[in-house]
Amino acid sequence: MEKILLKLCVNGETCQVAVPPNKLLLDVLREDLGLTGSKRGCDDSSCGCCAVLIDGTPMLSCVALAASYAGAEITTVEGLAPPGELHPVQEGFAVSGGAQCGYCTPGFLIATKALLDRNPQPTLEEIREALSSNLCRCTGYMQIYESVRLALERWQQVPRTAAASPTAAQGSQ
Amino acid sequence: MTLPAFSLVRPQTVAEALRVLQDAAPGQAKVIAGGTDLIPNLQMKLYAPQLVVDIKGIAALRGIEWSPGQGLRIGALTTLTELERAPIVREQFPVLAEAVAAVAGPLQRNMGTIGGNLCLETRCLWYNQSEFWRRALGGCLKLPMPNPHAAHPRTICHVAPGGKFCWAVWSGDSAPALLALDAEVEISGPRGVTRRPLRELYKNDGMDRLALGHDELLTAVHIPARAAGRRGTYRKLRIRNSIDYPLAGVAVAMEVDDQGICHAARVAIAAVNPAPLLVPQAEALLVGQKASPELIEEVARAVTRTGKPLTTSASTPEYRREMLRVFTRRALQACWDRRDNVEHERDTGD
Ligand SMILES: Cc1cc2nc3c(=O)[nH]c(=O)nc-3n(C[C@H](O)[C@H](O)[C@H](O)COP(=O)(O)OP(=O)(O)OC[C@H]3O[C@@H](n4cnc5c(N)ncnc54)[C@H](O)[C@@H]3O)c2cc1C
Ligand code: FES
Ligand code: FES
Repeated sequence: MEKILLKLCVNGETCQVAVPPNKLLLDVLREDLGLTGSKRGCDDSSCGCCAVLIDGTPMLSCVALAASYAGAEITTVEGLAPPGELHPVQEGFAVSGGAQCGYCTPGFLIATKALLDRNPQPTLEEIREALSSNLCRCTGYMQIYESVRLALERWQQVPRTAAASPTAAQGSQ
Repeated sequence: MTLPAFSLVRPQTVAEALRVLQDAAPGQAKVIAGGTDLIPNLQMKLYAPQLVVDIKGIAALRGIEWSPGQGLRIGALTTLTELERAPIVREQFPVLAEAVAAVAGPLQRNMGTIGGNLCLETRCLWYNQSEFWRRALGGCLKLPMPNPHAAHPRTICHVAPGGKFCWAVWSGDSAPALLALDAEVEISGPRGVTRRPLRELYKNDGMDRLALGHDELLTAVHIPARAAGRRGTYRKLRIRNSIDYPLAGVAVAMEVDDQGICHAARVAIAAVNPAPLLVPQAEALLVGQKASPELIEEVARAVTRTGKPLTTSASTPEYRREMLRVFTRRALQACWDRRDNVEHERDTGD
């Protein structure tokens, strides 16, 4: 199939890829850019494992044609914090056992980051609602909600501007 | 996972999109908005278009405008999240706010658009399956896959064997709410821009769901100003309350005065027929009346006469029909009891 040349802006870096027009953003991230943090967890766009931020909004990279998002700011789980550091949301999950097998975790981290950017004081009900596109087969969700609560505490200790900016993680590929 | 091969175009104006659609052979081009319905369907190889037309770059199709004279205009690319959060929608059109908030999960709603929601493909247990699964069965009326070794070598409808009609179900949530608000759709095509009642968009045929030409686009939805402020609510049955498509849906919008007398009423249902449908008798039964258990029961019976659930989904027709009745009762009572349009907890049938 013909390929098209795309400029994608991922985790603050612009990269060029040549991909067929039917290639999904999820597959471009994983196969062409080596960013395997985003996962494919289902066949019918119902699991949330592939979530990324597109211009700050959490979306499913498995229903996005890569070519449709040329020019948009894409943030994957790899871009949440600079290499070697953890974003407060990642710390929350690490400390509270929010991950067991870990397959769903990147999607939960992305959805949680987006929630806290929009609503820094969510209630438990708001957390459950914001994470309801994300499925987890291991944790039973309680540790995840606990992780978000802990992330919230840590979040409030970091200067908002640095942590809230999608480009906080420069050069993290 | 690979999708079938296609070329992609990204028009930036409605005129450009219409030109592309007009030049394509009928059935060869598919429009993509949020992609939350189209991409999973492509993944299952339900279609093989040569061309996909991505309309997301058309800025003129975005946004919500309200004027007390003209009513509410919703651009086709407005996302369900934008609608659900818009103060004008929450305050003046609560049935719509509830219905869009009940679609899928938040990540799907961040991508899914109102245009895509109104043009959704119909769904059926025997159709929304992988290519492998469908081939083993021999396909169905909607998508035949002739296979001499299949369980059914002759293509048949598995819902109504012997029938020639496809019962695949209308499974969108915003359409019944918009029907209850007397909405109209704006259609742009080679003959210009026209507006028609939303109910005329649906053909009630699982195979051929929309009265929309291959060279036409749905460009906006209009809700007349007279529907603003109607009390309303949407009730929905689904397997997982966090994410699934509806198995039955009931939307009610009503005007009720201080004495509790109903002055306007619409009841619309989804997920039990190949189209979202207004219940024709509901208005005549309700207007001029005060709430009574007998009246509510009579409307609920009218609703179950309009809804025709069959074996198209994971839940039984009997249960879905019974839930239509239960949801109608609860929705009418809630509208009558409510003094203002305060939001209430989601009714999930439990
Ligand atoms: C896991 C999951 C659960 C879901 N649950 C629900 C649910 O509970 N309720 C529900 O209603 N939906 C549900 N959906 C479907 C979907 O998310 C929404 O209906 C969404 O609003 C579809 O909009 P879209 O922009 O993504 O559509 P797209 O996939 O882009 O398009 C859908 C169809 O409409 C056509 N189309 C789109 N825009 C236009 C236009 N402007 N003019 C003409 N044709 C157009 C496309 O060609 C396509 O055939 C679910 C989807 C998933 C993946
Ligand atoms: S891979 Fe399951 S939602 Fe995207
Ligand atoms: S930790 Fe295993 S799926 Fe969530």
